[in-house]
Amino acid sequence: MPEQLQTPQNRLSKKSVNVWLLDETIENVIGFVVLIVLFFLDYYFDWVNWIGWILIALAVISVLGALWGFIRPSLLYKHWRYDISEEFLQLKFGAIKEEHQLVPMTKIQSVSTKQGPLMRKYDLYSISVQTMGSTHTIQMLDKDVAMELRNRIAHYAKVEEMDE
Amino acid sequence: MTEARRYHPVQIIYDLWQLIKNSFFFILILFVFQAGSDAWWVTYGKYALLAIIVLRILYIFLKWLTHKYALTATAFELTEGIFSKKRKTVPYAKVQHIKRETKLFHRIFRVTSITFETGSQGEESAVTFHVVSREEADRLEKEVSQRSSDVIEVDETEETEESELPAVEPDRTVHFHPTKKDVIKASFTSLSFLAVIPIGGSLLSKLEDTFQMEQQTEGFFSAIFQNWWLIVISAVILLVLLIAGGMIWTFIKYGKYEIASDQEKVYITKGVLEETPFSITKQNVQAIKIEQSLMKRILGLAEVKLVCAGGMGEDSADVNSLYPFLPVRKAHQLIVEILRTYEITDSMQRLPRKAFWLRMLTPSWFWIIATVILYFWKPDFLGLSEYWWALSIVLLILVVISRVLDYKHTSYTINDQFIQLRSGGFTTSFFLSKRNRLIEVGASRSIFQKKMGLASLAVVNRAKPVLHSTIADVPDEWADTFFAWYKGRRRELEIR
Repeated sequence: MPEQLQTPQNRLSKKSVNVWLLDETIENVIGFVVLIVLFFLDYYFDWVNWIGWILIALAVISVLGALWGFIRPSLLYKHWRYDISEEFLQLKFGAIKEEHQLVPMTKIQSVSTKQGPLMRKYDLYSISVQTMGSTHTIQMLDKDVAMELRNRIAHYAKVEEMDE
Repeated sequence: MTEARRYHPVQIIYDLWQLIKNSFFFILILFVFQAGSDAWWVTYGKYALLAIIVLRILYIFLKWLTHKYALTATAFELTEGIFSKKRKTVPYAKVQHIKRETKLFHRIFRVTSITFETGSQGEESAVTFHVVSREEADRLEKEVSQRSSDVIEVDETEETEESELPAVEPDRTVHFHPTKKDVIKASFTSLSFLAVIPIGGSLLSKLEDTFQMEQQTEGFFSAIFQNWWLIVISAVILLVLLIAGGMIWTFIKYGKYEIASDQEKVYITKGVLEETPFSITKQNVQAIKIEQSLMKRILGLAEVKLVCAGGMGEDSADVNSLYPFLPVRKAHQLIVEILRTYEITDSMQRLPRKAFWLRMLTPSWFWIIATVILYFWKPDFLGLSEYWWALSIVLLILVVISRVLDYKHTSYTINDQFIQLRSGGFTTSFFLSKRNRLIEVGASRSIFQKKMGLASLAVVNRAKPVLHSTIADVPDEWADTFFAWYKGRRRELEIR
C-alpha cells in the first residue's frame, strides 16, 4: 500500500530465522516424541478404536503444522519492517495478511525488552511497546540495535510527555 | 478547621430505606413465596434474615452516632468505626469532580447528595455524602473549591424543582428539549416486539390445527371458534397494554430531558421521577458516534454518543449518550452547536464497486456454522424440522441483505482535521473524530484485498476500554492518504 509514503525500512535480525527454526525444531521434536509414545501406548494397551483415529488426525495436523512452521520464519523475516521517527513508530508485517501500524510516540507509555532462552544464545532481544490500548512487539533484534531502539523510543516518548 | 460533625439525621432514614430495598427480594422469597414451606433453609433463612436486619438497624444508628466528618484547611477528615476508630484524610487538591444527585428520596426530604471524586482508585477514591442538606452541600462545595488549587472542576449539575429555580449559570444555553412528538416517535422504536405477532399467529393456527385433528365433532368446532375470538380480543388488549406501557416507560425515561452546554461542559438532565443530571467536559470528548437501528432509521431517528476519557487520564472514562431518539438533522446540528470545535460534512466517499464483489464472495462463517448446526440439530420450529434447509436459506438471504446494506451504508471522508466513517448493515454507526484524538491507527490487507487494491483501516480512541473503529475495503490510495493525513497530526497538538 504505502507507495508514496515511505514504507518502514528496518528489518529484524538475520539470525531471527535461525532462532525461529530452532524453536520450531525443538517444539516439533517434543511434539512428535509425545505422539510416538501415544501411538506405542495405543498399540500396546489396545485402546478403543476412536483414540487411534484421533491420534492419526493429530499426527496429520502436526506434520502440516511442522511444514508451515518451517516455512513461516523466512516469511516472517521477509515481511517484517519497522521504523521510528521523532513522532511515530511504524510497523509493517504479515505475508498473508499485511498489517500496518502507526503509533504516535506521545502515546507510548512504556518500552521493555525481553529475551527468551534461545534468544539469549543468539544475543537477540524483543522490544515491547505499550500504549493505552495495546502492546506492539518487535521480535528478534540484535542486542545493540534493540538497546538503541529502546533508548530512542524512551527518549522520544518522554520528550513529549506534556503533550495532550 | 471546622469541628467534626455528624452526618445529616435523614441519613438514618436513607440507610433504612436502602436496607429495605436491598433485603426486599429475600423478604419476598422467605416470607411470601415460601411462607408455608417447611424446608430447612426457609426456617433458618427467616431467622438469619431477621437477625441480619436487626443488626443492620442497630449498626445504622450506631453509625450515625459515631461517623463524623470535618473540613480542615486542606483536606476532608472522616472518622468512622464503632469499636475501632478509623480516620481517613482526603485532600481537596485531589478532588477532580463534584457530583450532586437529587433523587426522588432526596426531594421528599428536601435534601441532596454530594460526591467528591478523586482520581485515585480504591477506598479513598471518593468522599460521598449520601444525605446532606442543600445549604450544607453548598457550603461543602464552596469550601472545597476555594481551598483546593484552582485546577478543580466543579460539576454544578444539580437541578431542583421549578418552584425554586436555582441561579442558572448565565452562559449556559439549552440546546434540546424533546417535544411531545419526539417522545411519541421515540416510543415507537420500542415497538419492534410487534414482529412477535405473525409468529404468535402462526403458532395459534398450528394449535388450532392439532385440535381439529383430534376432535372432529361439530359442537367443539364452534367452541374453538368462540375461543378464537377470545384469544384475539385478549391479544389485542395485551397489545394495547404493551404499547401504552412502552409509551409510559419512554415518557418517564426520556420525557423530561434537557441538553445544555456552556463554554466547558455539556449538561444532560434526564428523568421525570428521579433527576440524574450529569455533565461531560468538552475537552474530554474523544469521538462522536451516531447509531441507528433499523427501526430508528425508518423513523429518521438516531442516537448520539459522546466517547469520553476521564479528567486526568483516570478512570472516569465512559461512552455517554446524548439522547437516544434525536432526529438525524437535529443530531448533526446539535453536535456542531454543542461541541463548537467539531464539524460534520455531508459529502462522504462511497466504497468502490470492486469492494462490493469482494464482500459478496467472502464466505460467511456465521452462515456456514449456523447451517452446520441446523443440519445436525434440526430445530422443531413450528413443527418444520424437516425444512431446516429453508431456515438456512432465510439466514443466507439475511446475510446477503445485510452485506448489501453495509456496502450501501459504508462511507468515509477526511475533512481537514476530522475523519468520518460510516458502516453497518441493519444497524448503522457513524463515527467522527479529530486527528489528534486518535491514539493510533492501523491498516491491513488480506491477499484478496491486495490483489484488488483495497485495504481495511482501524483507528483507536482513548476511552475505557479503548474504542476501536474500523472500516473495511477502502481503496488503498485512500489508505495512503489516511496515513499521510495522520502523520500530520502534530499540527493540532495542544501543548499544555
